[in-house]
Amino acid sequence: MLGPRTQKSLVTQLGETLKRIAIAALALAAVMPMLANAHGPSRKKEISTIEINAPADKVWEVVGNYRDMGWHPQIGKTEADPGEYKKEVTKRKLTFKNGAIFTDTLTRYEPENKTIAFLTNDEDLKTLPVEGYSSTISVADEGGKSKVEWKGAFYRGYMNNDPPPELSDKAAIAAVTAFQKEGLEALKAKLESGK
Amino acid sequence: MTGRSFARRVAIAVALCIAGAAAPAMAGEAVREAFITSQLADSVGVVDLATMKQVAEIAVSGKPAGIAMSSQRDFAYVTTPDGKELVAIDTAARKVAWRINVGEGPLGIAVNPRSGVVYVANWYGDEIVSVDPKTQQVTHRVKVGRAPSGLAVTEDGATILSADRESDAISVIDAASFTRTGEIKVGEHPFGVAIEPGGKRAFAANVVSNDVSVIDLGTRKVTATVKVGSRPYGVAFANGNAFVTNQASRSLSVFRLSDLQPVTTIPVGDYPEGIQATPDGSAVYVACWGDNIVQRVDTATLKAGVKAEVSDGPRAFGTFLH
Repeated sequence: MLGPRTQKSLVTQLGETLKRIAIAALALAAVMPMLANAHGPSRKKEISTIEINAPADKVWEVVGNYRDMGWHPQIGKTEADPGEYKKEVTKRKLTFKNGAIFTDTLTRYEPENKTIAFLTNDEDLKTLPVEGYSSTISVADEGGKSKVEWKGAFYRGYMNNDPPPELSDKAAIAAVTAFQKEGLEALKAKLESGK
Repeated sequence: MTGRSFARRVAIAVALCIAGAAAPAMAGEAVREAFITSQLADSVGVVDLATMKQVAEIAVSGKPAGIAMSSQRDFAYVTTPDGKELVAIDTAARKVAWRINVGEGPLGIAVNPRSGVVYVANWYGDEIVSVDPKTQQVTHRVKVGRAPSGLAVTEDGATILSADRESDAISVIDAASFTRTGEIKVGEHPFGVAIEPGGKRAFAANVVSNDVSVIDLGTRKVTATVKVGSRPYGVAFANGNAFVTNQASRSLSVFRLSDLQPVTTIPVGDYPEGIQATPDGSAVYVACWGDNIVQRVDTATLKAGVKAEVSDGPRAFGTFLH
């Protein structure tokens, strides 16, 4: 039977276990922010294009506006820094219709080339399983019509070896491909309907 | 040009050749080709620098990223983060000569200029691995900080530096004993690290803090921090200047080695990554991941020039000129 000494040692053991769990939890919490900002070594690329029956200037008016990404069906609200656009300084918060929040930084703004680029700082892995997602969108005039190119560069949403399927390279490529296609198709529909 | 200044140039050129002969064999000889790791194409392309055309492509599975030339330039050593291998390419035959498993996520790579030993940084394994190319075996492993990426070796072959990305630090490793003898805290997420000619200082490109930490290798202290563009990746030295690839700015930041003051910013292709200077310092070559090009930048005019089209996703992280 359990004598007082044994009972005490059981309590001590329980205390030790709880302490270890607490330490492990603290260690994990300390590591988490670092994980969020890290990635594996292989960056992926996805280039999507679409032809739009609208003048390049009109298309650029929409995609070149860093203050409103509402042309993408998934984006609900765009809140950008006020003032002049400043490359690598101006930031914005994108609230997706599902509630997810992404933030990004304007990395290129060239109206003369009809090119805009932005790079995500914070992502929501459930919405898009990617990190460091850079988008370069450019509009080219093609005899009165437009060709829009969206170049995506991104890492999968998992920094370690052997990612779970939902955070794999394959999942990241599939998600970005679908996201860019959806955006470009909505852009086309919006501009061709004249709305 | 006067006859006298021409004679002086010849004399300098001869002197440089003699100096070059004292250095490791071939190191001073002109380069003719670039071996470019094209990560997304799973290949290493060979670019003829005279015509700036990709003239050969060697299939290398496993998402090749890092590259280092042997001192004789008879082999190009390539890391494959997904393949977990070190792959040796015979540069004359343009064929894979041998490949070995080195561990988890091999990325950065460097060759000891004295012994010829190859060092690989295992990103996931948090370790540096030493490989003897003669026996094609891993001989030593040493634990460093988290996510080691770039590697550099001092000219005397005595010291190895690794940029430990997630630890915000540079590890110092004694090559002879293969032990870690120090850690130097730098900016946020150092990726590429390079040692300037003469070997007194090392320069680490910090991807997240957008600056370069300048480290005195004698005192092992950061003596200066230089602001550069967005997401700096690699550093090269030529013509008295440091050239830094800024991935997200599509540019090179150029600053003087003498006083660390900015010289200029040179626009290049999209996502510039690997960078290396020619032995004579007249040019740097840059692999631009986003545009699938290798671009030549003149170090006298400080202008980007001819481009070579290469296969998808060129990174060329390390030394790639042959």
